[in-house]
Amino acid sequence: MKHPAIADLALYGSGDLGWLRRLVIGRHVRRCGTCLAEVDAFASAGRQMRDAALEFPEELHWSRLAAEMKANIRLALAAGEIAGPVEEPPASWLSGWRPAAALASFTLVIASAWLLLRPLPQATAIAQDLVLKTTASGIQLEENGRSLALLHRDAETVTLAVGAQGSLRARYLDEETGEVTIHHVYAE
Amino acid sequence: MSTPSKFALLLLAVSAAWAQAPARSSIKVNLPPDAPISLLEADWGESSASERGSALVLNLHTSLSLRNSGQRRIRGITWMVLSQEVTPGGRASVTKPSLDIGPNETFPVRLDLRLLRPLGPAAAGPLVEVSLDGILFEDLSFYGPNKLDSRRVMMALELEARRDRRYFQQVLAAQGIEGLKRECAASLARQAETPRLDVQLARGRSTAAESERRVQFAFLQFPGAPVELVSGVADVSGPEARAPRLEVLNRTNRAVKHLEIGWILRDARGREFSAGSIPAKASVAPGRKSDVLGDTSLRFAEPKGAALAIDAITGFVSQVEFADGSLWIPTRDALADPRLQRTLAPSAEEQRLTSIYRRKGPAALVDELKKFQ
Repeated sequence: MKHPAIADLALYGSGDLGWLRRLVIGRHVRRCGTCLAEVDAFASAGRQMRDAALEFPEELHWSRLAAEMKANIRLALAAGEIAGPVEEPPASWLSGWRPAAALASFTLVIASAWLLLRPLPQATAIAQDLVLKTTASGIQLEENGRSLALLHRDAETVTLAVGAQGSLRARYLDEETGEVTIHHVYAE
Repeated sequence: MSTPSKFALLLLAVSAAWAQAPARSSIKVNLPPDAPISLLEADWGESSASERGSALVLNLHTSLSLRNSGQRRIRGITWMVLSQEVTPGGRASVTKPSLDIGPNETFPVRLDLRLLRPLGPAAAGPLVEVSLDGILFEDLSFYGPNKLDSRRVMMALELEARRDRRYFQQVLAAQGIEGLKRECAASLARQAETPRLDVQLARGRSTAAESERRVQFAFLQFPGAPVELVSGVADVSGPEARAPRLEVLNRTNRAVKHLEIGWILRDARGREFSAGSIPAKASVAPGRKSDVLGDTSLRFAEPKGAALAIDAITGFVSQVEFADGSLWIPTRDALADPRLQRTLAPSAEEQRLTSIYRRKGPAALVDELKKFQ
């Protein structure tokens, strides 16, 4: 007889299996004494752990802990009396109508910024299969999830030019050699 | 050691070996047998491969060591980069302009690529093929298959380089080293302040989520430009400009075969950005008009990610190639227009020369200028 994996038996014992798997494993466990014993052992261990977590440690002396807590509270009250009468704090800036006004102004600023700075509606779904574009590190042509990019490494100044008939050009200066390189990608 | 630990160690070793392995077999360098350069060495140093989700990421970093095996000085070189398995419809290129490589001299070309493709069996053969597309020499002669129109691109860069070197030499002759320092400082300040845009370009129509409007181009006309911009429109929707269409007039008695129209975008806050150009293979007969069309959607954003609300577009002719292969580029006087000074990046050569000044000082720049006199 082929037995289920031990991990499945553990999950079955703790009731964490999905319904279909639970059905299959349950059918086997009802007919197999060995696996039933494993499931009982896992379930028993789980119960013991849960019970143990609810009990205080044996070495904890509850009465001593309560006495320490009372002493700390008295100490805090005494310190408060030495410091003098408690002054009523001034009306908080956060009380009354002010928070609502501030929140409204903040929302207005955020909304205005979003309206002014949002990317304009993208003219997406371009009916084409090949796209030329600039990226942070170079210029690239993309086609059906594939791409070829020419990279301008460590270039400080990159001059871009687009050819409206289907090309993109990046000119950059190699800071090491002082030489100019021109990259071109074409969709023509 | 336990069995799982041994297995994990074995996996680690295999993946580390695999991560180091891809470079050499992933790139193939093609050089025609009669090429006036030879490949001495390819260093694959920091190349690596890794999995990201369900994709394979290949970072290929190589430095090709090349020798000028011809008799002419090399001024520019372009390599074509193809990855048929990763992006069958796309091509890329790496161009090194403003070179000065004499016969038998060696020079490096760095290639830094990143490929991303779904995990799975790779096709037979290299992932990337790097092929020589063209070499431009000191006498403006050209070698190579020119599949990417490298001749025109490198010729324009070389003409710009000559124009700007001549300008700096004139400043040095007329105002001395102090004048040269002032000129470099002003150029570096402009370079630092030139606004930059991020861009995404896609072919074909877009289904814009907001209403589209037609924006008329304004024009900056340069005196002496061989081509005049007559009219132009683009469909604009928020940060996206689509299908620019321009009408141009050939003012000369020579046929034009290619032209580039630079454009400057103004956003809703009045800020202006250089947005590149509309290069167009356009056959324009002498004295005739022709249309220049772009069938693409361009979406612009500031580098911080905020989309640009396009309000107006200004166009100017930035390059003209005639049927006989000669080229026209704007003069420095034409580019002194304040709007262009604010928005347009300097030429590659001006960037290189001012970089020499910044890194090595005015004496090194004077030496560099003298090399080309």
